[in-house]
This record gives sequence, C-alpha cells and structure tokens, in this order.
Amino acid sequence: MLTGKEGRGVQKAMEIIVGMGEAQGAKELVKISYAHLMPPDVMFMPFGKQGRWAHDLTGELTRDIKQLKVPTTIEPKFCDLSVAKDLQFADDTIEEIRTIQGKATDFYENLGVVPTYTAMPYYHYRARKGQHVSISESIATLWFNTMLGARCERDDGVKSLAAAITGYVPKEGVHLDENRAGEVVIHPGADIDFGHFTDGDWDAYSLAASRKCKDKLPVFTGIPLTIGQTDLKHLHAVIAVESGLALMHLVGITPEAPTLEAALCGRKPLAEFTIEKKDLDEAYDLANTATGTDVDFILLGCPHLTIREFRDLTEVLDGNKIDPNVTLVASTSRLLFEQAADMGYIDVIQKAGGSVATEMCIAFAGTQATGTIATNSIKAVFFYAGFTSDGSRMVRFGSTTDCVRSAISGKWEGRK
Amino acid sequence: MGGEEIDMTIFKGISTAKLGIVEGEALVTTDLVAFWGGTNWETGEIVEIGHEARGKNVAGKILVFPRGKGGAGDTFGYYYLFKSGKSPKAMVCNRGMGQTVAGALLGNTPMVYGFEEDVVALIQTGDILRIDTDKGEVEIVKRSE
Repeated sequence: MLTGKEGRGVQKAMEIIVGMGEAQGAKELVKISYAHLMPPDVMFMPFGKQGRWAHDLTGELTRDIKQLKVPTTIEPKFCDLSVAKDLQFADDTIEEIRTIQGKATDFYENLGVVPTYTAMPYYHYRARKGQHVSISESIATLWFNTMLGARCERDDGVKSLAAAITGYVPKEGVHLDENRAGEVVIHPGADIDFGHFTDGDWDAYSLAASRKCKDKLPVFTGIPLTIGQTDLKHLHAVIAVESGLALMHLVGITPEAPTLEAALCGRKPLAEFTIEKKDLDEAYDLANTATGTDVDFILLGCPHLTIREFRDLTEVLDGNKIDPNVTLVASTSRLLFEQAADMGYIDVIQKAGGSVATEMCIAFAGTQATGTIATNSIKAVFFYAGFTSDGSRMVRFGSTTDCVRSAISGKWEGRK
Repeated sequence: MGGEEIDMTIFKGISTAKLGIVEGEALVTTDLVAFWGGTNWETGEIVEIGHEARGKNVAGKILVFPRGKGGAGDTFGYYYLFKSGKSPKAMVCNRGMGQTVAGALLGNTPMVYGFEEDVVALIQTGDILRIDTDKGEVEIVKRSE
C-alpha cells in the first residue's frame, strides 16, 4: 500500500497510519475488523471558514478512494436540518450546512459506510473481546474497550478514516496487554445510594470520578450488577471526555474485571479514591453554570436518547404542553427513533410541542443557540459552555425528568 | 543526599515528528487540556469551566500539561486552532493522548511526551524551554524569575 500500487489515496492513508505509529512509538501495525468514522465535514461545524477547512482536509485524503477494507459506521451529522431553525441557525448558514454536510454524507454512503449517524455504534456493531478496531468517538472507544473487551485507541477522525481505508492501525496504547491494567480504584462512599440514582446522578458520578482519576485508568468497585444500558451510557459519556480515557474497568461487570485483582493485573493501585455525596454535589455545581430559573432551550440526546430516556421523558410530558417560551429538541439515532415511534413516544413529544431530531450531534448543533440551555448530559454541558466567545453561555444540568419538568413549567426545576 | 543540586533540566521523551529545534516560553497547567470545546479555537484562550488555566492563552506558548482530554474530535479543534494561527509553538505532555498527537501532526506542531519524570511538576510557567524534536529532548534553558 505504501508503494502506491493501490492508488494515491490508499498510499496517503497508509502514510498517515505509519506516521501516527511512529509518533505513538508503535513497533508494528495490527489488522482491524471494524472502523467508526468521524469526518470533520460531516460533523465539525460544516459552514463558514472552518467548514471549508474541514472539507479540504478530508477531500485530500479521500480523492481516489473507491472502497473501504472493513465494515464501517459513522458519527452523527452536525445538524438535522429540520430543527436547524429551532436552534437559531440563519438561512444562509443552513444552506451552507446542507451543501457541505450533504456532499460529505453522500460520499461516505457511496463508499459503503453503514449510515448509522450515531455516537453509539455499539447498537449496530458489536466487536468481540480481543478484537482490534478503530473508532473515532470518545464514548464509543471507551464502550468498546470497557464493555466488550475490544481493543481501540483514542483515534481521531483522520486516523480512523485512514484505518478504514487500509485495514490497519498502529499497535500501541490499549491495543497492547500491558496498557490495559487498572491504575487507580474508585469506590462508592457510604452515603452513595445507587438504587436511587437518576440518569443525572450517573453523569455526576462520572464527572466526580474523572476529577479524581484524571488521566489514570480507573477501576470502579461497587457498581450494581443491575445497571442498564442507559445508566452505563451516562457513566461512560462524561468520563470519556473529562479524562480522555480509552478504557476503564467495572468490577464484576466488564469482561476484563471479574475481580478487583484481575482488573489491576495483580499490581498495587497508584491511588484509591472514594466518591461521596459531596463530590456529586460539587459535580452538579460545576455543570450548572446558570443561576436563577430561566430556561430557553431543553436539548436532550448527547449521546443519543435511549428508549428508557424516551420513556422517562414521555411519562412527564404525556398530556402536558411545553411552555411556549421554551424550545425542546430531543435527538436520537434513526434506529431508536423508529422504535420510539412504534412505542408511541415520538407522538407524545410532538403533541406536547417538542421536536425530535435524528442522526444529529445536538452537543455541537446546540452551540449556536443563545440563552439558557438545559440538558441531561454533562458531556453536552462541556461543549455548550465551551463554545462561546467568553465561555459564559448559561447552562443547566439535571436528570431527563428534571429537564422535561422544566420544559412544561418554563422554569428550571432541577437542582439549583 | 549531600545537598548538592542534581541537574534536572533535560527531559527525554518521545517526539511525534522531526521538526528541528524550537525555543519558547512555557505555559504549564496541571489540568488535562481539551482543544475542541475546552479552548477557543479562534483566540487560543482556555475557556473550560473549572479549568486551572481558564483565561490563559496557548497561542505561541510551549504548552505543558499532563495529557489531552476531550471528545474524539479534539484533533479537529486543534486543527482549527492551527488554521486560525493560534496554536501553541510546541506541546510537552506527561502522556501522549491519540487525538492530541494527531492534532500536533496535522498542525505541524512539535510535541514531546512520555517522560520518566513528571514534567508538569518540574517545569514552571515562564520558564524558557528548548525542544529538540529530533532527539525528543526538552531542556529548561532559563528559569522564570
């Protein structure tokens, strides 16, 4: 591939894989069986000058590529244009997005990319333990390593595309056995009651944990065996962003952590931390940058809403109307949208005056809205608070139920 | 332990690419750094709520931090920062995170990481550093006053 026998595009992709391998100190490459893409011209504000940069960046890499070597899925689009006006995009910006994002999605679909458009590709492709893959999405990377025991580094959009084109990644980081051992231990304190956790509490627990473990690979003890897909999503999503980790272990739950000793690979931990209720309170305080009761937007679905979140949402919303001064947008994948529609959930939301968007990244698309945004995702808070000129966009964070109650009353109903 | 000062001013790590030697002023933070969402890519200012270096500007500095964090799109955040002309002159990290390394390569930024020492604790903001990307060495050439 490096000699150019398979064309200039493949050659350039292989140069990127080898260059990343050298930069990351890898001694060899390893074959992958799956890739998940994050093209910038699909997702990273595809308008204005950055839209042109994104388009040029991947255009150069994909020019003569006709096929990919492994099954490949893809991240959400930047914006579902049916809700672009609700999120305060100007008409000319919407047209720009339509052009750049549309060209990009056409290109990847023609290459045979499965049009999943979600940050939760584990609903579509489940890797096996020990399988090497390349994923460019922080929660999905953490999920594939942690929950499935697959092997994947913190690959970016360019590297995962080059990996899909060549079928290889550098064998480094958590692709290697020696880098998969837990380094620090996170225990729940005596005043932590998982039995009464809301989905918001799992986000807060995840933020509190990441502030303790920082960049060290954590092993969580005491997580209940009964934890479901939705709470696991919340636990993964926040720490994936806040600690930049590719892997963690949940004792008794994840495949490489049958016991604490196994998760630590027999080593002594560098540190042990206990998360108490006061740490959760601190996490809630950090995630709530707004004061007062104003709420202008309720943006849900970072990562995409699950069926249980739709259930929580509609339980509160059923028979009520959303306050006319509040815009509610719920975002999910097409797969889960169809299921939620079959279950009557979409109908309830629309009748109450809310919108349901599909295949979009509400964390990025929501960053153009002005006013106070309420969300059930600390991952989204990170982006909403970050993407303002002075870092001061007002954000409210709470459980899905808190957010929906606020949508009805028009005032923030969660923790102050 | 005779009270003699040990010379701890050269640190050896892994260099992401051979880009020669650069010199510049260190901006040190003990918090992890994100470029997409954590830093304003049009100005170079660290904007993350609760970040130790919030309000500091990375443009033209040698940014010294424990490791990158953020979403998988952090690389594009770095790329946009580079295209805006606001990227750091070089990056020095205790640990290399994939998306930070990729950003450094795309932005042609010298980056050295993976030291035996905790360089974040040993380098201070204002120190003048010399980065030899061919050898993977970071040297403190002048301490901040």
